[in-house]
Amino acid sequence: MITNPLRDPRDRRLPRVPEPCALVVFGITGDLARKKLLPAVYDLANRGLLPTNFALLGFARRDWGDSEFAEISREAAREHARTPWREEVWEQLAADITFVQGSFDDDNAFDQLAATLGQLEGSHGIGGNAAFYLSIPPAMFPTVLKQMQRTGMAESTPERWRRVVVEKPFGEDLPSSRELNELVDSVFSADDVFRIDHYLGKETVQNLLALRFANTLFEPIWNGHHVDSVQITMAEDVGIGGRAGFYEKTGAARDVLQNHLLQLLALTAMEEPVEFSAEEIRTEKLKVLRAISLPEDLRTFAVRGQYEQGWLAGQRVKGYRQEEGVAEDSTTETFAAVRLGVETRRWAGVPFYLRTGKRLPRRVTEIALVFKRAPHLPFADTDTEELGNNQLVVRVQPDEGVTLKFGSKVPGSVMEVRDVSMDFLYGEQFTESSPEAYERLLLDVLLGDATLFPRNAEVEASWAVIDPLEEFWSGTSPHPYRAGEWGPRAAEEMLFSEDRRWRRP
Amino acid sequence: MTTLWDTTGSAVVKELAAQRRTGGAVLSGVALTLVVVADESRVADAEEAATHAAEAHPCRVLVVVRRQIDAPTPRLDAEVLIGGRLGPGEAVVMRMYGRLGLHAESVVLPLLAADAPVVAWWHAAPPDRLATDALAVFADRRITDSSIAEDSLAALRTRAEDYAPGDTDLAWTRCTTWRSTLASSLDSVSGRRGEPVRVHGGRIEGDPKNASAQLLAGWLSSRGGCSITVAEGARTPGPSGVQSVVLQLDQDEEVRVEADRRGGAVISQPFRPDASVALPERPLGDLLSEELRRLDDDEPYSDALEAATRVTGLADHSPVREHVWFDPAEADGDDPPVPGPRRRAAAVKAASS
Repeated sequence: MITNPLRDPRDRRLPRVPEPCALVVFGITGDLARKKLLPAVYDLANRGLLPTNFALLGFARRDWGDSEFAEISREAAREHARTPWREEVWEQLAADITFVQGSFDDDNAFDQLAATLGQLEGSHGIGGNAAFYLSIPPAMFPTVLKQMQRTGMAESTPERWRRVVVEKPFGEDLPSSRELNELVDSVFSADDVFRIDHYLGKETVQNLLALRFANTLFEPIWNGHHVDSVQITMAEDVGIGGRAGFYEKTGAARDVLQNHLLQLLALTAMEEPVEFSAEEIRTEKLKVLRAISLPEDLRTFAVRGQYEQGWLAGQRVKGYRQEEGVAEDSTTETFAAVRLGVETRRWAGVPFYLRTGKRLPRRVTEIALVFKRAPHLPFADTDTEELGNNQLVVRVQPDEGVTLKFGSKVPGSVMEVRDVSMDFLYGEQFTESSPEAYERLLLDVLLGDATLFPRNAEVEASWAVIDPLEEFWSGTSPHPYRAGEWGPRAAEEMLFSEDRRWRRP
Repeated sequence: MTTLWDTTGSAVVKELAAQRRTGGAVLSGVALTLVVVADESRVADAEEAATHAAEAHPCRVLVVVRRQIDAPTPRLDAEVLIGGRLGPGEAVVMRMYGRLGLHAESVVLPLLAADAPVVAWWHAAPPDRLATDALAVFADRRITDSSIAEDSLAALRTRAEDYAPGDTDLAWTRCTTWRSTLASSLDSVSGRRGEPVRVHGGRIEGDPKNASAQLLAGWLSSRGGCSITVAEGARTPGPSGVQSVVLQLDQDEEVRVEADRRGGAVISQPFRPDASVALPERPLGDLLSEELRRLDDDEPYSDALEAATRVTGLADHSPVREHVWFDPAEADGDDPPVPGPRRRAAAVKAASS
């Protein structure tokens, strides 16, 4: 039934705009809120994608007046916004922003928050809909969630929706993530919980699924008959920045491997979903995550590393242990590489090599399918000496695109076959440099589109992969590597032992 | 960048190929070819917009400027640019003098990216019948801009009479922000009621001579099933020609959207406080970018055009155009135009559709 005559399914110019709603941000004074959230809200407003009735409610301990808060958020939005700055858009938005001061264990503050939200229903016409963004350390979750339960803010009713957004990492191991999930699910219903992995842009997921399932070319060879191995890399050139406190407790495996790399693996290895919907895609991803197997020889196939002082991009950089706030004898890893298997008919026997690290030579995320060599080459051995494996590389960031690497004859009178690469670049608009990924995540939360967000079963299945690794690593020291290198020697040896080598991204 | 003076089509093709070889690293995949037909006075605007659009949609840009159609000797000057002034992709700017202007397709056809869709955009007054320009015949999508014409209402009627699926107009694109705001205002009414909304009538205030305002009225009429017209507003509106829109809904309710002339609008609706939203006038490049996003038929546009001009049966027009020979030199005289050789330039298109 068409409830709005101006909506026409054939009309694909009109963007989807959320219903009137409020966005409540806990920890609005934090780094993430100022650098990502507020600018993303401004960008959405600037692009006309916010609902006609909208309110942003900030909650934090800091003692700020409304005008002080408005000024600070204006500066933050202005500095980090992606779209051009327009004062008039901000002014319209600023009228919708309210700040509530209080600490998370203060009952009065939450009563006031609930009251303010109630007032906004009337004064801003938000119709009772609200999304709560927990931009706070996970340790605070129980307090805040219990407060929300106490004040009845978390209840969705047929007349209104209430959603909650949780940032990765979701817990620190399987038991703690279960506990967190149970807690969140006891306050909100499972459909109303959105777990954000802001590394994984929606564009990336859609591009990858389009490449795999909209084409006939790739699917027939997307399996163990043709694929020799898969390498998934997420490299960062930066160090830990000012996040020593967080990172010391987390490490590369929990920070990136557990969520981002396993999600990319799931998208690469999953079967075709029955339809392009959140539920069906999650179902397929979950099957893959549950089918992941760990190598028996963890000593060789699960390597972690820690960067030492070195040179990167022409600058001398500190080692991890010399970073401020890091213990001198820290055994937290800044690099992790692991060989996983996916025990399905499609992928049995194909190794999936995953690696992530900080202070690697360049920032890059990519998925590389390395194909088997031709069973027979009708050329002389010397002709194909330089021919490697064919590769299909999906670049996730930067320069999102697809590269196909194959052999080609070197021009000239001598028969000589060498690798060349063919490149496709998605348009500039889609590249990661724009924080559009964040805008889209936020928009999806307000629209209630859950395609991108892993559900708790996925999170738990991912921890089930990471926990044995952490257990094996506990009490050992990571292999050192120099900042500016592609990880420790042991990671190279891990592939050498199977007659393979890492692709240099 | 290379400039070729008094050159030939084959030399341009060769130069483009040569630059692709030497500048190979800057190339990205080409998703479509954008053929821009511009007046000399509007070339700079058109180039800027095409550059902006090319950033979002990797494409090959071919700019055709027809000059001095009565010059005695035909001549072609061309600029070949890769990764230069005209964005990251490949671009060729061609100035055609004399009778060559009537045969522009002979230069453009070999320059089209292989097997990629072709979009033709007139940043100039388009011909009354697009089929008289061979560039329109092989294009999969044709973008005109009725707001350029002095009498933009007559221009809209011309477009309606000449309509073929795949045609679109930037005057329509200018309405998108208004349409989106109106649609989401009604969303919020139906969301509050929990039941469907019906539009019983309405009024647009603005510039009745503006093509975008007329198309917005046409769209509202076609969607609402009632007649909505444009009335002269008190103030001069922006390029979209709309100052305010009032919609009368069932249950005796009313929704009003009024532009605040600062890139925003105020929405008034029952049971809700007034709300401000962003409603900017967009630069040409953004409009073009939106056009390139989808290349299939735009049915809502043809419905709106039909309602705005009262020309009916647009949906039944054939999607295939056949080239019609038209010589302005002959048309200027008293003699009726002599039908020239009819060529089937649409051979490929006809076969595929």
